Amino acid sequence: MEVTLTGISQDAKEATITMWCKSEGEKVVKGGDLVEIVTDKATFDVPVPCNGTLTKINKKAGETVTTDEVIAVILEEK
Amino acid sequence: MDILDLGIVGYEEALKVQRDLLHKRIAGSVPDTLIMLEHEPVVTLGRIDDGKGMIDRSFFEDNKIPVISAGRGGQITCHMPGQLVIYPVIDLAGKKKDVSFYIDRLEEAASVALEQLGVPAVYNGERRGVWVSGYKIAFSGIAVKRWVTYHGIAVNINNDLESFRHMHPCGESDIRVTSAREQLGRVLDMAEVKKVFADGFREILSSGHLMQVA
Repeated sequence: MEVTLTGISQDAKEATITMWCKSEGEKVVKGGDLVEIVTDKATFDVPVPCNGTLTKINKKAGETVTTDEVIAVILEEK
Repeated sequence: MDILDLGIVGYEEALKVQRDLLHKRIAGSVPDTLIMLEHEPVVTLGRIDDGKGMIDRSFFEDNKIPVISAGRGGQITCHMPGQLVIYPVIDLAGKKKDVSFYIDRLEEAASVALEQLGVPAVYNGERRGVWVSGYKIAFSGIAVKRWVTYHGIAVNINNDLESFRHMHPCGESDIRVTSAREQLGRVLDMAEVKKVFADGFREILSSGHLMQVA
């Protein structure tokens, strides 16, 4: 599953990644904290969207991304 | 929605209360809660603070006002007794899950409450905060974890505005700041102010209203 920031806010078009809570290769559980981002007036802990393994992190802490960019990929556990 | 009035409290202590309530709200063991308080004098730096908003550090050092990094959005601001701070801990699950929309509602609630007190305040999503004739009177900065909100909005009621003159609040050099006391020419009764704000925030942040406004 590709992880984007769509759905966080209709108005915010971009956000800055401040901290990854998980590393590549790590098991992740739906609802846990995946990554912390900031918009102009909010910090937001993005929840893990599904159970699985975090296989790829595309954007590092400090990078600004648009909300439709794929920031990570999770191999979903069936 | 519960109301938790902490009175005048230090920033770190209030943060502890917020975090405790946040985790309980995530676990579903407490209802949505509005924390209302006044902070002891403090300068807080939001997560995107770039250091440019602090223009006179010596003023804060001389007056023994601590400068603290806060885990909320936004940049630099300051708090002190007489300023009403509202930290809603609200579960947005089942409501409209949209961070900007939620900040709009916070600013709407503050402007409605200020209007009830006789201060003609307005908000607009274009420039964050609540404004009176071009002067900023309220400052928002929030955090969201598992779709539960914390941090919130600070509204200048009776507080002295001197600290704001030694910084660029929100990192913006053109901001002029005011208070309800300055606008009305009198000191307001904080108990009455809190009641008006509690009613306004309850109404606007209630589940129905957050669901209805699209």
